[in-house]
Amino acid sequence: MQAFSSFVQKAQQLLDPSQGLNLSDSDRNPSKASLFQSQFRLPSSQHPLYEITAELTIPPANATQGDRDRDRGYQYAGKLHLSEAFLCFSTTPSSFLQSASTSTSSIFTGQTHGSGPSGNGFTFPLCSIRRVERLHSQNFQFALSISTWNGISQDAAKEKDRKDLREQRITIQLAGSRQACERFCDGLKKGLRANVGNVGKMKQVTAECYSEYLLRPEDKKNAIPPDAGLGMLFKYPGDPKKLRDRAKMRLWAEYLRDNGRNMTLLRQPTFHKLIRVGLPNRLRGEIWELTSGSLYLRLENPTLYADTLSKFSGKESLAIDEIEKDLNRSLPEYPGFQSDEGIGRLRRVLTAYSWVNADVGYCQAMNIVVAALLIYMSEAQAFFLLSALCDRFVPGYYSTTMYGTLLDQKVFESLVEKTMPILWEHLVKSDVQLSVVSLPWFLSLYINSMPLVFAFRVLDVFFVEGPKVLFQVGLAILRINGEELLDAADDGAFISVLKSYFASLDESAHPKSENPKLRAVTKFQELMVVAFKEFSGITHSSITELRLKNKDAVLNNIESFAKRTAIRNLGPDSKLLSNDELGALYDRFYGVLYERQQRDRIIKQELARRAKSSRSRIAEAASEGGHGIEKGRVGLGPSTSLMDYDAFREFLAGICKWAISDAPSTPRRDAVTEKEKGFYGSFRRSDSLLSPWGAGSEPADHEFLRRLFQKWDTDSSSALTLQKVVSGLARIKGKRDIMGTINYFFELYDDDGDGKVDREGILRMSEALLFLSRRGLEGTLSPSNSTLTLSGEGANNDQGDVLGQPVSERFLGSVSAFIRRCFEYADPDHPSNQDSAVQELGDKLASTDLKEEPESEQLANPDAFAIGDDDDEDDLLAMDSPTSSPKAAAQRPASNQPPPPTIQLNSPTTQLSPGDDIAARRRVSKAQSEKANIALDPSNPLHITLPTFRMVVLADELLEQFFESAFPASFHLIDGIAGPTSATTSTAASPLTTFSSLGFGAGRAANPAAAAAGQGPAAFGAAGAAVAGAGGAGRGLRGVLDNIVTDGMRVAAEVRRRMEEAQRELERNALPGQQSQQQRGSGARDDEDDEDDEELGAPPGAGSAGGNGKGAAAAAAAGAAGRYAYAYGGDAERRSVRSSDRDLLTGADAEASDAAPVGDVPAIEGGVVGGGLGEGGSSSVGVSGGGRGRAAEMGTGKVVGIEFDG
Amino acid sequence: MADSNAPKPSSSVKLVLLGEAAVGKSSLVLRFVNNDFQENKEPTIGAAFLTQKCNLPTRTIKFEIWDTAGQERFASLAPMYYRNAQAALVVYDLTKPTSLIKAKHWVAELQRQASPGIVIALVGNKLDLTNTGPGGGGDADGAGAEDSGDARKVTTEEAKTYAEEEGLLFYETSAKTGYNVTEVFTAIANAIPETSLKTARGPGASHAGGRAEEQRVNLNGPRDSNAKEACAC
Repeated sequence: MQAFSSFVQKAQQLLDPSQGLNLSDSDRNPSKASLFQSQFRLPSSQHPLYEITAELTIPPANATQGDRDRDRGYQYAGKLHLSEAFLCFSTTPSSFLQSASTSTSSIFTGQTHGSGPSGNGFTFPLCSIRRVERLHSQNFQFALSISTWNGISQDAAKEKDRKDLREQRITIQLAGSRQACERFCDGLKKGLRANVGNVGKMKQVTAECYSEYLLRPEDKKNAIPPDAGLGMLFKYPGDPKKLRDRAKMRLWAEYLRDNGRNMTLLRQPTFHKLIRVGLPNRLRGEIWELTSGSLYLRLENPTLYADTLSKFSGKESLAIDEIEKDLNRSLPEYPGFQSDEGIGRLRRVLTAYSWVNADVGYCQAMNIVVAALLIYMSEAQAFFLLSALCDRFVPGYYSTTMYGTLLDQKVFESLVEKTMPILWEHLVKSDVQLSVVSLPWFLSLYINSMPLVFAFRVLDVFFVEGPKVLFQVGLAILRINGEELLDAADDGAFISVLKSYFASLDESAHPKSENPKLRAVTKFQELMVVAFKEFSGITHSSITELRLKNKDAVLNNIESFAKRTAIRNLGPDSKLLSNDELGALYDRFYGVLYERQQRDRIIKQELARRAKSSRSRIAEAASEGGHGIEKGRVGLGPSTSLMDYDAFREFLAGICKWAISDAPSTPRRDAVTEKEKGFYGSFRRSDSLLSPWGAGSEPADHEFLRRLFQKWDTDSSSALTLQKVVSGLARIKGKRDIMGTINYFFELYDDDGDGKVDREGILRMSEALLFLSRRGLEGTLSPSNSTLTLSGEGANNDQGDVLGQPVSERFLGSVSAFIRRCFEYADPDHPSNQDSAVQELGDKLASTDLKEEPESEQLANPDAFAIGDDDDEDDLLAMDSPTSSPKAAAQRPASNQPPPPTIQLNSPTTQLSPGDDIAARRRVSKAQSEKANIALDPSNPLHITLPTFRMVVLADELLEQFFESAFPASFHLIDGIAGPTSATTSTAASPLTTFSSLGFGAGRAANPAAAAAGQGPAAFGAAGAAVAGAGGAGRGLRGVLDNIVTDGMRVAAEVRRRMEEAQRELERNALPGQQSQQQRGSGARDDEDDEDDEELGAPPGAGSAGGNGKGAAAAAAAGAAGRYAYAYGGDAERRSVRSSDRDLLTGADAEASDAAPVGDVPAIEGGVVGGGLGEGGSSSVGVSGGGRGRAAEMGTGKVVGIEFDG
Repeated sequence: MADSNAPKPSSSVKLVLLGEAAVGKSSLVLRFVNNDFQENKEPTIGAAFLTQKCNLPTRTIKFEIWDTAGQERFASLAPMYYRNAQAALVVYDLTKPTSLIKAKHWVAELQRQASPGIVIALVGNKLDLTNTGPGGGGDADGAGAEDSGDARKVTTEEAKTYAEEEGLLFYETSAKTGYNVTEVFTAIANAIPETSLKTARGPGASHAGGRAEEQRVNLNGPRDSNAKEACAC
């Protein structure tokens, strides 16, 4: 809810893009609307619609000034403005026409009138106007007689015969062409009509105004006065006698009687004079409300306060905690705030505001300001006045970075330097930091610095004349104490001078003077005189100008401080990264958040615009009027510092190639490099902002990303702080030690943290490896294979064997080998065996380069394993041995037909068991897979441990390099990733892309099926497996290539072509495969089984249907199957796994040797590949892999089929 | 004045208090300066400034105490106050673990951003809310009748270990009872090396005022540039 309302708010504030996005522009060229609003203190919903030069005549009955022209009343020439809901008149000549220059629009204070921001005149809500008549005028001019609801209460209105009612009536002569006058009158007519409905609201609002009570008619003598603050209960501060409260009240009563009250008040010079001498206690709140314009905010939404409180009642927030801490210490010396009543009010107002403006929330000093307000006004009044304060009077003072406060300190300093150069020089010389002293003045509006009675006098003027008053008073304080301050040599002395000054404000300014009148002048009076006379040159515009001048510097300082602090506080992990990296990370982190925020806003804006297009006129008006509360810059108060998953993806896409989606993305402009220079600026001008990812590439969404996110999200809050991101990255990038990275990767997949990764996890790991490498690997890769370029384009062959075999393809092989090995070594029950076996294997593998290694070695490996295994495994071994007979496996003709050994392995046929609708085929396929892999047996969970994983990784040069350098290096923290990735990775990328998309699709589809099948974890695995399988198959093919390559370039080329083809086919076939899977899903079998089925189904389908080249399809299917198989196989003894693996290996070998014309090597690879992914897929996978290669060679489907059968 | 080695020389030391909101920074100062305690102390806006002398056997230290606002968003103002500080009290609330974390942040900030050689004391306040602390808070606890329960959430060991690692002085105090408060300041006074006082006020000091002990040297060169670097205003 809160989020929603703040969105709405933001959206509203940012209707004008130039305001929302471009800080300096909006500052330099504030819209006419915003100038209009600030001059008349109108809500931001108001826009200047019409204006016309006019003369206001206040009839004698209403004139307070008797001295001049009693008969004709009082006349003011000025401008009449009409907005949607207000009619305003002011003697300041500002114009808000589009054609008017900014300087004409921004004349704020007619110093000549010594008046407030809007000069003499009035600000009538249209609903307060009762009647407008056109008068017959002498010289063809338009003259309007306006009568208001002033003093006419609802029931009084009914009894129109009341005699004691003095109707407020003013006359306005419009000066302008007839046309202009008519236009204005038309507008007025429309506005009046539109606002008739608000009369009730207005009465409701004014009912809370004390003036209504003060001027109440005789018959209501006993009415209960409206709430005029805590002062009514606990006395107002100060001695009323001394304050001459009674006299002031009389004067005000008189003024209000003559000139109207609250909504219908006419501002005449006396008004401002009365304010300068200090407001009477009971009217103070109301006049503050009126002069600040918060009354109009309340009129707009009278129930907002109550509504907010009830809406959020019982909710918790950080702001509330902070508020609670301070409730007991807000003006504690005032009795009202030692009572539950006062504290309750304070709590409610602060809380309500913190909900309404969650970005500001609560800032210390607000408690003091609100406490002060509450002495004189009701809760609702204080609530709206606080809003007006925070949004308009002192913007940014209470924001999370307090940039407004800091900015005004800079402004103040430069004013001091300008107006009191000697003092300034002294300050500089004695190293006294002025803001140390003056900051609290501004932040708490002097409430905390001066005795309350005087602080309120300052506030009286402040609310009429605006923030410049704070500066004027501050300067006056320094000026008056100048001499003593020049003697003060340090902060301490400086402060104590001022402290004692404030304490003596009520004393005579000239105690020794002969002149009793002069002696009677208090220091405070002196202060006011100095402030407003001597520093009358300090105007709203000069302040605005200085603010502008200093704004950037202040924001930059804040940002660098924030950055510094943030980076420093990132915790011990951050030390693993260099400062530059941290800095870049910080920028990127907030850059992404900022960017997303801006995009969000623009999109919302666009939507709003569209929604409003029907009411185009209003939309236009509104779009012009955003009040320009800028956001987004860290310095302005970060609106968010949390990164959700989507932002995380975007973030990663900025630093990691692999995190960019394969989907065709919008052309990537070099946002990254731009970002470097200034990410705050880079988005303002971009055009593609409406895409959900902005101009950047669309980030990928892969399980790996999700895992990474979860891993980094240490407290599972679904959001990353910068700290979490840094810690996460530090562990990957920081140590640069391969073991660390390997461990990390392992942990990523060790879901329950038990040090084991199950079958499912293994498959996912391999998937992730493929995912990560699909755009090529980075960093220094195998020097021996220098030929291999990262992108895989350059394929040359040093070693003769490798022709055009890109690293990425070799990596495929590595990954499949990885899988195979993982399964080989996974045997939790026999750690010792495992270890030994592992070691052996490790050695061998280590020595083995996938590509370079002849099958023989690999063949040897299986043996080793077999040896390693004990008793049970013997069986397996036995089983294996048959399988291992390479040729048999390899040559198994029909992929569908499981070789006998397989079947045996599968002995846990139960799993295969009853496919209801499952075709025999499937069974067969299952059997196949299982045969190949006891590991597939779901009842035989298997896992690998970290040491195993490590060993397996280290066994492969490419993988080793991947973990040692490529993976960490793939995070480009500082420079980001430049250039259109898709272009660079060209060849390698495209097929991969298809693969991935395919894989994802398959995975998703598979999921439900698996779930249906019933095995929870397996289900997931299955899905994943399907994905991986699909992917794997593709890769597998590539792996196969390696081997094939040995045959020659021709073959290789062919293969490549084939691969691509295959890839495509894979895509095509994957779908059917999935479907079938789903269907089967219903079957009672384990997910794995289902998966197997899929695979099986697919392969056969592919094989048979596709016939030849379908190798691809088959491969895909097989791959998928393989995965499942693995997953399932788990149950079967690990040995079975191993054995099956071996089988695969052997099979592969066999294939290689047999089927592969090329020779053993390829076969091996194929086997590996197949084994890796499809292994379980049963031989089929392996086959497919191998076959694939072959197929390529052979060119026809038969080949494929054959190989599959292998 | 760096050379003024008169018996019992007097020198002033700028000390800044930092820490999370409502941990009792101002109360510690109030206790130290006025030996007073107010249950509901107004939150500090920006910073408050107080002075108090501390008599050591060999010298007198006049503390110029900058008591800063604790709320998070005021953090960006802090550099303004700890600029040139020679000592810092980083305060946390014994009953609020998060306040210790914040304290650690402050320590880190000071160590890297404040004057080199700044003496930092880590102070766990509100000992009166705990049962007799191991530090011997017992004598102080008599005052708090209402605080029968042990609200301690940060163990002495934890904080102490951290303090030792970082080379900080460490105390647990109660501003309410006054326990250990003067001790903290005395310890700081003692910990400030004579040399640092000398060097701190040494060459380049501008003797703008008559009271030597109140002069401070701008360690970092011209005030302006320093201010710009050190603080965010």
